[in-house]
Amino acid sequence: MAIMESVSEGAQVKPVRPGNRLWVWLGIAPFMLFALLFLLLPTATLMFGAFQDAQGHFTFGNVSRLFSDSILDAYWISIKISAVSSLCGALIGLVLALAAIQGQLPGWVRPTLMTFSGVASNFAGVPLAFAFLATLGRVGLVTALLRDVFDFDLYGTGFSILSFAGLAMTYLYFQIPLMVLIIAPAVDGMKKEWREACESLGGSSWYFWWHVALPILFPSILGAALLLFANAFGAVATAYALTGSTLDIVPIMLYAQIRGDVLHDQNLGYALALGMIVITGLSNAGYIWLRARAERGVA
Amino acid sequence: MKRHLLACAVLGTLGVATAAQAQNLNNLIKAAKKEGQLTTIGLPHDWCGYGAMLADFGAKYGIKINELNPDASSGDEIEAIKANKGNTGPQAPDVIDVGLSFGPQAKDSGLLQPYKVSTWNSIPGAAKDAAGYWYGDYYGVLAFEVNSDLIKQAPKDWKDLQKAAYRNAVSLAGDPRSANQAISAVYAAGLSQAGNNAARAGDAGLKFFAQLNKSGNFVPVIGKAASLAQGTTPIIIRWDYNALADRDKLNGNPKVEVIVPKSGVVAGVYVQAISAYAPHPNAAKLWMEYLYSDQGQIGWLKGYCHPIRFNDLAAHKKIPQDLLAKLPNPALYKKAVFPTLQDQETYKGVITKGWDGVVGSNVK
Amino acid sequence: MKRNGTRVGAWVAMIVGALYFLLPLAATFEFSLKMRRDSYSFDAYRVVLGDPAFRATFGYSAMMALLTIVVGILLVVPTAYWIQLKLPRLRGLVEFITLLPLVIPAIVIVFGYLKLFNSSSWLPLTAHERSTDFLLMASYVTLSLPYLYRSVDTGLRAVDVRGLTEAAQSLGAGWGSILLGVILPNVKAAVLSGAFLTFAVVIGEFTMASLLNRPAFGPYLQLIGANRAYEPSALAIIAFLVTWASMGLLQVVARNIHGTRAETSA
Repeated sequence: MAIMESVSEGAQVKPVRPGNRLWVWLGIAPFMLFALLFLLLPTATLMFGAFQDAQGHFTFGNVSRLFSDSILDAYWISIKISAVSSLCGALIGLVLALAAIQGQLPGWVRPTLMTFSGVASNFAGVPLAFAFLATLGRVGLVTALLRDVFDFDLYGTGFSILSFAGLAMTYLYFQIPLMVLIIAPAVDGMKKEWREACESLGGSSWYFWWHVALPILFPSILGAALLLFANAFGAVATAYALTGSTLDIVPIMLYAQIRGDVLHDQNLGYALALGMIVITGLSNAGYIWLRARAERGVA
Repeated sequence: MKRHLLACAVLGTLGVATAAQAQNLNNLIKAAKKEGQLTTIGLPHDWCGYGAMLADFGAKYGIKINELNPDASSGDEIEAIKANKGNTGPQAPDVIDVGLSFGPQAKDSGLLQPYKVSTWNSIPGAAKDAAGYWYGDYYGVLAFEVNSDLIKQAPKDWKDLQKAAYRNAVSLAGDPRSANQAISAVYAAGLSQAGNNAARAGDAGLKFFAQLNKSGNFVPVIGKAASLAQGTTPIIIRWDYNALADRDKLNGNPKVEVIVPKSGVVAGVYVQAISAYAPHPNAAKLWMEYLYSDQGQIGWLKGYCHPIRFNDLAAHKKIPQDLLAKLPNPALYKKAVFPTLQDQETYKGVITKGWDGVVGSNVK
Repeated sequence: MKRNGTRVGAWVAMIVGALYFLLPLAATFEFSLKMRRDSYSFDAYRVVLGDPAFRATFGYSAMMALLTIVVGILLVVPTAYWIQLKLPRLRGLVEFITLLPLVIPAIVIVFGYLKLFNSSSWLPLTAHERSTDFLLMASYVTLSLPYLYRSVDTGLRAVDVRGLTEAAQSLGAGWGSILLGVILPNVKAAVLSGAFLTFAVVIGEFTMASLLNRPAFGPYLQLIGANRAYEPSALAIIAFLVTWASMGLLQVVARNIHGTRAETSA
């Protein structure tokens, strides 16, 4: 791809005349209008609540309460689980995509993996939590199998599906397929010719991956990892159904404030949502910076 | 004797007013039919027999029932009213059925409109708003729902739960940081440990669950019919009517036992109310009349919920004998504690704030 | 020699992956067969499949999913293309906007809808069934925006957008033909990925459909899962299989629309 960009640099680029500026902006007008009407405005009208108290007066009180210990803890756990599941998911998803697309496997493997990933990427919430409880829970299928057939006591090792590690494992069920689907087009774009050229110049497989393939794929991998991070950060149903009342992640807290039978401080809920947007904004900024560096490095 | 006199007085009052009431009721039915629809929220069909009652109401008056999210929590129902202010579309609920403490809260936020049903006077004073904004509908007590295929010896009281036999077995039916049912369960445990001392029950309950968690008896998964049957949560602490409905539905697969504990019997009252922005106020009022009629109250009893006018109905022998036989031993309900609104405020604050420090990951 | 190594590695990855993904499904399936005491049976499946609400709600959601995919593609592909071609500096901003639906809880968005588009507002979308359906579809497009945009964007980056556009323009093609005839076929794989994700998102979506009071599959799933023991597992397996089949269908249809040109880009 880098080779392609440098080639097209020499090609004629249509100059953008001053009068054209408006016409250029018009190109993304439908998208902007849609986003405004159906995403930004609805959110904004409610985000005012983050700066209001129960009587509707303006206040920074909700935002300052975000810095209390329990809420900061919740943000930290949320960030941890999102980071862990997105990094592992990105890695494993990349390996699976590479295996299916470039691994010279029979023709039915790729479409099967793609369609399965489509379904699995949204298999979350109560059904997923239940599936993992039924598999690796204390009375789960695999736990029983390991005990009866292999004489191996899974829970004797201290493992429990109801823990941070268990939750991360469960999150991977929808993170990995998401990665596979997002990175597949980029893996597709890797041409056979590059591999052959590298080999014909005497480069090993390892050299190809480390010095040619990975740098080219890196911006796409980064973008996908960011998507996975945001995806995990906003996931609530699975965590709630699995670890219920032990792990306190921000979305659970948010829901408790907005929907709960008891706590019910909506404005704090909106402040929590605002915090989540800020964190996503920061990670997005980090991603843009990293990507710009990666692209500079490749060109 | 005194109760008999009271009942006679009530009947007398009702009798005098009946003539005028009949006329009002007819007008109400006409107006409700004209509106043609009733929008409910948070009424699962298996909860207190609502399924049968909704169908019966719809058929009896020819009014279409539009059911919003049956899984909505009390908080969800209040939010739905707020979010639909100014919206007369089918997304706006007409009537709500929420936990006791939500009544005054919603009234203060201006979300309700008052209505006094014709059987108003037979509703106990402590369970209704004097101005008619909200009124208790039914109650149940916290019980242990036990999968008796997996648990051979069912627990009989709260302190039994701490026994080694119940390792990895005890669960709650909700999250004690936000669900009424779960918080009440912690309170009930505390009440039994603190000898019915309401002020100390919140802390005692937290200590009880801390111990349960440390010994490994507590499973932090939210208990449901599926997890009960699968074996992850063989014991669930929940309202007796839900446990009994589960027992019937599971139909022996697995076998379920429902046990009301010997001490710390806590009753939870739910209340009905009409939304201030209800798009179909007359249909809403007719629904209330139906619910508080003898027929409606017995409908709840069929779903194992004790209707708020239970004592009144029992006194007039209006409850079918076979229905009474299906309910748990009434002697157990005599010890039921009905937490006052102040009690609830106190213990909810204690439990929701203290839970994380007791069972949360900060402990690990 | 090296080729074999690659193939072995690929098979190992696939098998390990298959184990991880299929075991939980197997456990769910095994549990769903236990409805009858002491013997395996398909009773739970009979209950679920016999429920007319299952077919009605799944049909509704599948239709909504297809509509969402079409509208989503119409919105996202030209936008991603335009950004890459003419407005690369706006890339960060647009990407941030498309990430927002992942982080803003759906409940906040839908409450916003109820406030902005209720029956007494300037655009009373919730007043009628069809317009509420439109609002629901718009919410679905919003929810699938992160996946669609990221997918299409990744696909476009693997293609020389500028070069192709120059070539097409020098041959006299207008914007419409460029998009339809040149760009779209080259990102077909990416668009298909995004379409799969969108389909799955819409089928299982609960919050929007529930609060806007539309008869979708998500609320139906929730209803069954709340109080029953074995039926939810059966439903999960059925939903999984039917969704998978629908995607297979989508893939076949897509392959036949544009011939086989998409596969040659690799």
